[in-house]
Amino acid sequence: MATGIRDKVAIVGMGCTRFGERWDVGADGLMVDAFTEALADAGIERARIEAAWVGNALDDINVGNSALPAAHALRLDKVPVTRVENMCATGTEALRGAAYAVASGAVDVALAIGVEKLKDTGYGGLPLRTKGMQNDLWMPYGSAPGTFAQLAGAYAARHGIAAADLKRAMAHVSWKSHQNGALSPKAHLRGAVDMEKILGAPLIADPLGLFDCCGVSDGAAAAIVTTPEIARALGKADPVTIKAIQLSASNGWEMQFGAWDGASVPNTRAAAARAYAEAGIRDPRAELDMTEVHDCFSITELVIMEDLGLSDEGRAPSDILDGRYDAGGAIPCQLDGGLKCFGHPVGASGLRMAYEVYTQLQGRAGERQRSKVDLGLTHNLGGSPFNSVAAVAILGRLN
Amino acid sequence: MPDPVTAPAEAFGIAALGGYLPLLRLDRKAASRELAWSGLPMPRTGTRSVADWDEDALTMAVEAARPLCAENAPEALRFASTSAHFTDRAQSGIALDALALPRTVRTSDAANSRRVATSALLDALLGRRDEIITAGEQRPTQPGSAAQLAFGDGAAAVRTGPGAPARLAGHASLSHDLVDRYTSREHPFSYPYEERFVRDVAVAEVLVPVIRAACAAAGIAPAQLAHVAVHEPVGATWRAAAKALGCKAPNHCEAVSDMAGDLGAAHALFGLGLALDTCEVGEYVLLVGFGSGADALVLEVTGPVPGASATAAALKEGQVLAGYSRFLSLTGSVELDWGMRAEFEQKAQATVLERVGRDMIGFIGGRDSTGNVQFPKSSFPVNPALTEVETLEDVRLADLEATVVSVTADRLNFSPDPPFDFGLVQFDNGARVLMEMVNRPAEGFRVGDRVRMRLRIKSQNRRLGFRTYFWKAAPLARPVLGDA
Repeated sequence: MATGIRDKVAIVGMGCTRFGERWDVGADGLMVDAFTEALADAGIERARIEAAWVGNALDDINVGNSALPAAHALRLDKVPVTRVENMCATGTEALRGAAYAVASGAVDVALAIGVEKLKDTGYGGLPLRTKGMQNDLWMPYGSAPGTFAQLAGAYAARHGIAAADLKRAMAHVSWKSHQNGALSPKAHLRGAVDMEKILGAPLIADPLGLFDCCGVSDGAAAAIVTTPEIARALGKADPVTIKAIQLSASNGWEMQFGAWDGASVPNTRAAAARAYAEAGIRDPRAELDMTEVHDCFSITELVIMEDLGLSDEGRAPSDILDGRYDAGGAIPCQLDGGLKCFGHPVGASGLRMAYEVYTQLQGRAGERQRSKVDLGLTHNLGGSPFNSVAAVAILGRLN
Repeated sequence: MPDPVTAPAEAFGIAALGGYLPLLRLDRKAASRELAWSGLPMPRTGTRSVADWDEDALTMAVEAARPLCAENAPEALRFASTSAHFTDRAQSGIALDALALPRTVRTSDAANSRRVATSALLDALLGRRDEIITAGEQRPTQPGSAAQLAFGDGAAAVRTGPGAPARLAGHASLSHDLVDRYTSREHPFSYPYEERFVRDVAVAEVLVPVIRAACAAAGIAPAQLAHVAVHEPVGATWRAAAKALGCKAPNHCEAVSDMAGDLGAAHALFGLGLALDTCEVGEYVLLVGFGSGADALVLEVTGPVPGASATAAALKEGQVLAGYSRFLSLTGSVELDWGMRAEFEQKAQATVLERVGRDMIGFIGGRDSTGNVQFPKSSFPVNPALTEVETLEDVRLADLEATVVSVTADRLNFSPDPPFDFGLVQFDNGARVLMEMVNRPAEGFRVGDRVRMRLRIKSQNRRLGFRTYFWKAAPLARPVLGDA
């Protein structure tokens, strides 16, 4: 019977670049910045890295496929580097690969790094695929906001909530993240925004307005993982450890089979249930101190709160409006501003989430520091609500 | 004068008929006001039909033909148009797959004259074959030309067969290279000559003689015609011809011109639908296709013709375009700068089309051993109750209704006519498909809306000149003109 990786892997160093419109630097430079910060944080020599996983979702946008862009940028000499891609869940996927390598005993020290250089496309939003395969003969070319916007109508239909009430709760999600992002020095968007501006913003995909959508950013984030024993030997007396990493992928059921009403993301629920079990969490509402979730759009965060079991079914809007997930609330969400304001360089986002939890667990978050953080959760979602890859990771301290 | 044909095909005629018009209509008066400063002569009455950005002669012709092959396959499928997109890829072959007809059905395309559909119809009747002749037209026009407001986009189709309720009683044809207007590779916009010249010659040299000959073949005088569907090259042509023929029958093609515009190769067949919807049993109806001569067919009506009333109803449905600039954009008359997202270009792969194209354009899903239907088909069924590889039974989804599960109006994604509506739709047989939606209702699409399927252009690579086609979800009903 598998026992999972709870406390078998420690994170000894992390790095994260400033996210945003990084006209000043390419993908290689972003990786270098995240990597050097992680190395310094870990206090180890680069030669100790025995394997690396590099996450990059959109290989044709200035990064390139295979191990080589990362191996070149970081000059990883004859290191086994693996490129992973799982859409927007790519960052957590890279961390999972590195963590599993350590947990299995295959290596002692591994690197996970995620990077994306989106702002070289020349336009807003994510780039489009052009390959012309079977799906392109029938599947609509919807945008990312277009696919996630559909959660809103389906959620309203399931719970009988008025569109205007749902829109206000969604606006609060964005308002809260802007408040938090203002305190996040590396965030892409650092300005607070009032509710009226959010509610009155131009529509991108009904009912999502401009401020319901996350930033599309350049950036990179990295983690160096090892065994708890080596972490202690490195002077980390109470190292941050991985309590769980779980992933769940659609098999086409939501999109092709009629049992799903479109108002939740089943893969988030599956990944969360497995992660809670792996981490030994029985009551996530009582045990989790913070979350960093995949708030690509405000409605996504709202639905995630129920999918993670943090709000009762149909109660996320009122919990959000009551401030439950605000910085001063019971379970703050997106203390660093989230995808919404920290930004969303796709392949880096899962590691950026881990970076904030890691920072909070060590009491190093400055103005954003939460008074008590023992357990934090990251949730990284790739694809669309109806065809997704969901990743849930839980971080804590060893002792 | 042509020789009368005295041996009409016995009891062989038009078994059923279909017509299709796009949703949108342009109000000619409003449009001509936009151009009043130019002093150019413009039609000022009625409306013209306007294809959506993702409709073309083929998609509309398929829509017109759909009701005609619901029960069984014809011997042949003929596609007729002067504005077909492909010049070396048979539209009839694509239509065959879109209609999910067997590959053994013979196909051919007819082009290069507005008369081709009636010529193909006459050939089918004389050959006593069970055929579908479907004509679609979406002719490019130039701003400022009278044609831009006078032409319309649309399609009409007929099915021939024995024992048909509109029997061919007589016919005549006349070839005459009267250059009333033309298009060519170098001049894709229709180039018209003076109306009075066209009218005078068309009446005297083409229409009157050919109609007289057809009536003689049917053993009737022109005065005995109760209704006609005569495709006029210019306005008031029938009035002049009717006077010469001593015929008082109304020309139903005039209503088509007035409300939808000149539908080119589809025009006469669409007008025939209106005539057959109005006429009584025992009456004679005249069909005339015009262009480089004329075909005249006298039909004796022995009963109601399936599809005639639906064709007539289609003329009264639609939505008037709010703005002239949207019309210019939809017709390609102006090229808006849609920004970098519009630079998106997708190359269709012939290998993929060969492998799965027929299932895609036919909207063929698969039924598993429990009865659940899915699209697309797969080796392992999507049904969670099944865990082994199965061969799924073909199920066509194109003719079924479905329900919207989730939907949005996407304003980020590039669309030539935003917003881009799409979402999940649920078929009653279990199939669930992520689909584009068209013919957006005034209040937008909503969860729970019932939808029907329409064939549309799925992707177009303008640089390479290639199109793919798929089905999109549309509201079940259309607004009646004037109410929208």
